[in-house]
Amino acid sequence: MGYLDNSIVTVDAILTKKGRELLARGDGSFKITQFALSDDEIDYTLYNPNHPLGSAYYGEAIESLPLLEAFPDETQIMKYKLTTLPRGTAKLPILDIGYTAIRLKQGASLAITPQTLNYLGSSQTFEAGGYVATIADARVLQTFNGVGINTPEAERLNSTTTLGTNVSKTAIGTSINITGTTINTLFAGQDSLQTTITVIGRDSGARVTVPLTIVKVNN
Amino acid sequence: MSFKRLDPEDISISAESVVAPLWSVGEKYLTTFFTSSAQVASSTGDFFYEVYENDTDLAVPFHVQFAITYGHKEGKGAAPYASSGNIVDGKSPSSTIYGQYRNLIFGDEEVDFMFGNVASDDIYVINLDRARYKEKLLPGSFNLKLKQGSNIIELTDNSNDSTTVSYVDAGRVYDIVSGSDGSAYSGTGFSSDNGSYGKFLPDVGVVVLNSKALQAPASEEGIALPSNHTDNGAGTSNIQYFFDTIRFGASSSLQSEETISSNYVFVRVRNSEFNYSTNPSNITSSGELRHDIMINTPQAYITTVGMYNDNNDLVGVAKLSRPLLKDFTKEALIRIKLDY
Repeated sequence: MGYLDNSIVTVDAILTKKGRELLARGDGSFKITQFALSDDEIDYTLYNPNHPLGSAYYGEAIESLPLLEAFPDETQIMKYKLTTLPRGTAKLPILDIGYTAIRLKQGASLAITPQTLNYLGSSQTFEAGGYVATIADARVLQTFNGVGINTPEAERLNSTTTLGTNVSKTAIGTSINITGTTINTLFAGQDSLQTTITVIGRDSGARVTVPLTIVKVNN
Repeated sequence: MSFKRLDPEDISISAESVVAPLWSVGEKYLTTFFTSSAQVASSTGDFFYEVYENDTDLAVPFHVQFAITYGHKEGKGAAPYASSGNIVDGKSPSSTIYGQYRNLIFGDEEVDFMFGNVASDDIYVINLDRARYKEKLLPGSFNLKLKQGSNIIELTDNSNDSTTVSYVDAGRVYDIVSGSDGSAYSGTGFSSDNGSYGKFLPDVGVVVLNSKALQAPASEEGIALPSNHTDNGAGTSNIQYFFDTIRFGASSSLQSEETISSNYVFVRVRNSEFNYSTNPSNITSSGELRHDIMINTPQAYITTVGMYNDNNDLVGVAKLSRPLLKDFTKEALIRIKLDY
């Protein structure tokens, strides 16, 4: 991983691991139709509203930041999205999925129902657009799908299966259903499998990532 | 809102031709040529020599630039195959090479190589390394100087003199003539009695040279290239003779041409959009903005653009080289280029 040359403004673009997988699939699922912006790497504690030279310099320390090249792992980038909110917003939306960590036994199921706090004047709400959930390693779950959002793309996504290697899988819904894998060979002598689930509000952009552990019970 | 749909006109696919020097030294001219004694001595050395830009015995980087070979219709100039002591007349590495290129270029095992109106039973071939020429050779960029004793000839393809492009089974074909940078020095640039000096096949990265024209004396615009037409291949290899003329000529230039298909994505950010950050360093654990000044004058810094499909899969990312300030007074247009 290297730093980008910041003497001029350039854009370093790459396909993600997921993008390469979809491109290889050749079924049209690679098509780019929307974008989001993020400020990964920015530390807003460096913002200095007390700078002696005035407001033009409040962001001096942030604007000098040398940025890293893009990561191809789609679960490690676009973490902190920029979002569109009415001017004067004092509290930003945050997600609550009811868990700070999830621990499931093999074959056990769980429904995750996220809520968004501080969104559009409501202290607690379910987003109309639903939530995007991404499991970093799709192999550790037997089922991973969303319910409650019935758009064609959500239904197509929730029924898609990727076989094989360690790749992510995304589901859309107001509630996300997960079931731990029953395949013993994945454990390779370990007692548990670890990965992460990232949930993002489709309207608010609020995001939360929690660790997921699947505990081996079958012999 | 954290995702914004792209309009159809925000995505543009463009194919661009990229031309570059072919040689791995990154310069127009290659002036030094070396073979590998190990490769020449191996069984593949009966068929071709690999040519490098640097001496393979020295501690300097070296890469295959091209391979040279010799083909004869009747298998002359090379030892015939003798599996288990059974010699098969007329079948040798040189006949194998001749048949290989005849089939590759014409797709017809009945035709002979014709250079102008002159047929030739034997050919020399320069086969450019694919890593060098990438997709195809650039017509008009081929220059090769051959030197045998005091005889020197400068060869080029005649693409600039041709008013029509000829095609064979291997794609476009141009004659190789006496000249430079795609044009003959005078007239057609052919030799007086032996036709053109060869064929330039840019789409397959191959140059075929007419042995008759090169073996002719200087009085017939040749360089008197020595040849070995023995039935048993005894003596110096024709590939070695050919390599020596390239080495002593000490000058060759060629360019590669590659079509790059690029997908341009234009990301347009309006002044009222994307002004708040969900970055945890920007908010407290309860979601309140860390800096009160940002309630009415929010500022966010764009570092990354994520490109998604309809399924919200992150298929591509673009990193800016420095943070781009975004607030209610600023709009941004970011052009992202994805090459395939």
